[in-house]
Amino acid sequence: MPAIFRLSGSLKDVVGGKDEYVVEAGHTVREQLLALGIVPETVAMVSVNGAMETKDYVIQDGDTVRVLAVVGGG
Amino acid sequence: MNGYGGHILRVNLTTGQVKKEPTPADLARDYLGGRGFGIYFLLKEVPKGADPLGPENKLIISSGPLSGLLVAGGGKCDWTCKAPLTGGYASASMGGHFTAELKYAGLDSIILEGISPKPVYLFIDDDKIELRDASEYWGKGSMTVEKMMKDKFGEEFQCAVIGPAGENMVSFAHINHDFGRQAGRGGVGAVMGSKKVKAIVVRGTKSVPVADLEAYRKAGMALYKACKDAEGLKEWTRYGTTIVTSWCNEVGALPTRNFSAGSFEGAQGIYGQTMREKIVVTDKGCFGCPCPCGKYSKTKKYNSYVEGPEYETIGLLGSNVGIDDIEAVAQANLLCDEMGIDTISAGNVIAWAMECYEKGIFTKQDTGGIELKFGNADAVFKMIEMITKKEGLGALLADGVKKASQEIGKGTEKFAIHVKGMEQSAYQTHNATAMLLAYMTCDVGAHHNRAWAITYDIQVGREKVVPEKVARVIWLQHFRPMFDVLGACRLQWVELGIDRDLYVPLLEAITGIHRTWEDIEKVGERIWNLTRLYWARENADFGRAWDMPAPRFYEDPPKTGVTKGQYTKLEDVNKLLDMYYEQRGWDSNGLPKPETLQKLGIPQELVA
Amino acid sequence: MRLYVDSSRCSGCNACRVACSLSVFGENNPKKASLVIEPHFPAPGVYKVRVCTQCGDCAAVCPTEAIKQDAQGAYYVEFSECNLCEACVPECPEEVMFVRPELADTAWKCTACGDCVAVCGTSALWLGEKEAVAA
Repeated sequence: MPAIFRLSGSLKDVVGGKDEYVVEAGHTVREQLLALGIVPETVAMVSVNGAMETKDYVIQDGDTVRVLAVVGGG
Repeated sequence: MNGYGGHILRVNLTTGQVKKEPTPADLARDYLGGRGFGIYFLLKEVPKGADPLGPENKLIISSGPLSGLLVAGGGKCDWTCKAPLTGGYASASMGGHFTAELKYAGLDSIILEGISPKPVYLFIDDDKIELRDASEYWGKGSMTVEKMMKDKFGEEFQCAVIGPAGENMVSFAHINHDFGRQAGRGGVGAVMGSKKVKAIVVRGTKSVPVADLEAYRKAGMALYKACKDAEGLKEWTRYGTTIVTSWCNEVGALPTRNFSAGSFEGAQGIYGQTMREKIVVTDKGCFGCPCPCGKYSKTKKYNSYVEGPEYETIGLLGSNVGIDDIEAVAQANLLCDEMGIDTISAGNVIAWAMECYEKGIFTKQDTGGIELKFGNADAVFKMIEMITKKEGLGALLADGVKKASQEIGKGTEKFAIHVKGMEQSAYQTHNATAMLLAYMTCDVGAHHNRAWAITYDIQVGREKVVPEKVARVIWLQHFRPMFDVLGACRLQWVELGIDRDLYVPLLEAITGIHRTWEDIEKVGERIWNLTRLYWARENADFGRAWDMPAPRFYEDPPKTGVTKGQYTKLEDVNKLLDMYYEQRGWDSNGLPKPETLQKLGIPQELVA
Repeated sequence: MRLYVDSSRCSGCNACRVACSLSVFGENNPKKASLVIEPHFPAPGVYKVRVCTQCGDCAAVCPTEAIKQDAQGAYYVEFSECNLCEACVPECPEEVMFVRPELADTAWKCTACGDCVAVCGTSALWLGEKEAVAA
């Protein structure tokens, strides 16, 4: 069972507008971002199945991974 | 007029006369509202060389065509005047519910003129408009007064209030509203104080007309739906702007100890996550906002309530003064709000003074016995009070970091972190060239909200000095400030990634005039050039030198943290400016060429 | 159907009240909305929202029978039949029955249309069956 990888906000513009990807388990969030052409440093927050994780989290089967773009401040 | 309150209110404080004029249709067509109205009236009506704190300066308060309507985030109010902090253009954007109330009272702008002989407040209840005696409020804190007024007039009234710092004309005094929203930057509160206006209280019960009601409801609902369906809405709303704190620390963008570094060893203590767990009581939204960034907090340590702190305040009154305790940051935030000073400028001037103290340039004799070291929260609280009262060292700091450092000399100008006299907001720019350029060329001084380009730096390579970065900054400078013109918030687009084309049918249904984003950005470019002309008109030596960043960013690299040793070479700083001026159609001294002004359709009456 | 609210989720933005005035009157004017947000600031920093429970107490006392029930069980004011007598106002246990002659020549109230729910970004509002337990 693969995992769902979702991009929020301006991140989806970096990859041409698509915000949801079905990905294989076993890679870190960081690797997955690089594979999509996103510089990992532009990501502010990673949430896996509703809990906060780091970019070094290894994606498991059935996960829903959500990555949030860095925001624009006050 | 569809989408507008329909009137401009002129308040002559010298004579006490109030007068309503119809909002000119061509003004609305060409400048839309908000910041657009502000710069138009500033250039046209405030005479060249006016004293920012004198009777000739005007405070121009404007809503926009999206304010107060079924628009996600339609709650932004613009405050324009000649800035006491910089001697140039000031335009501060305030959230909350004030701008909507102006529209319901049938007003698009309020223009405060002259100086009142005694403290007053402006009372507006629909068509009943009066200047009233403010002696019972004068001298009191801004939120204390807001509470008194809410108790007296009722919750339907919205209040914008200055604190004692505004009364004392501290050059970075702000205007407070809705217990924690501010028109923060440039000293707009000092201008209101110079006019002896303690507060503006407004209630409106009128309906705002729109051109096509059904199309408007449909487009408004579509914008709300897009926000509610947005990926990340929940996380964004949980943390608001504080979501960025941990990221800034990771990439070395968190201002630390007067911008001497970009990562802070105590950052964990001021992270958004720490704050949410420890002190947040409720989410607090501006008018019409489906994704409220406002976090309302209660501190245990100080037993106090405060809206925030939001990211800028955390950066400047946290890491930049060496404080690693979110409760202490919140308390400093509260004191600034109540006293009426901008947290961004306050965090900068105090950090500069701390660096002076640690370097032995200031001694205990200068500080009045205060141990003014980084990390000393009590010293920060005390300095906020001293700045407000212009007492001791506070009197020097109340003029802003540029003037203070010029007065002290001894090389302290090199670590006075400002552009054009406005202290820099909370992004470290040793090695983020697009963001550095954004600060250098921002139309009010070193402020982030016109062009927030730091993620673009990271995406394309931080140290790169390429035309694409310059083009990106220019596009952002046209596009983002247009939200301040339209009277709405940009964060729905910035943070939730809402398709900006959703605004096009909405604006058309409201005003009855079709405009593409290209049309809207053209207005943005016209306004950008007008603000540049204003700076040049008010400052005989205005030009390239005014666009230079703090020397720290090109000659004093961080000694610690993830950006250790990194900086932008002076030749690259100049290259950025060369490319920027060229792309803008400005000359090598940074002044708009005549053909550029002609192309933008800038009227002669504003240039003369 | 009726409207439910969880005040603790409210951020006080008032989008619901704009949507409401548009639904009830076709106007942009939250002063003519059918639900109320009471901010309590600076302390304790909470919003209290009052909404119509569709209890029908207003309809029961209306001398002109201008307050009627729709097919979903929500009460609404038939504007042309209201004589502004205000009999309904003190009957409302939630204080969300409105007569303000300076704003409208009719009484007004919540019709449970759901437009407020559609614009609420924090999910503080929802529609449910009258008997349903609050979610």
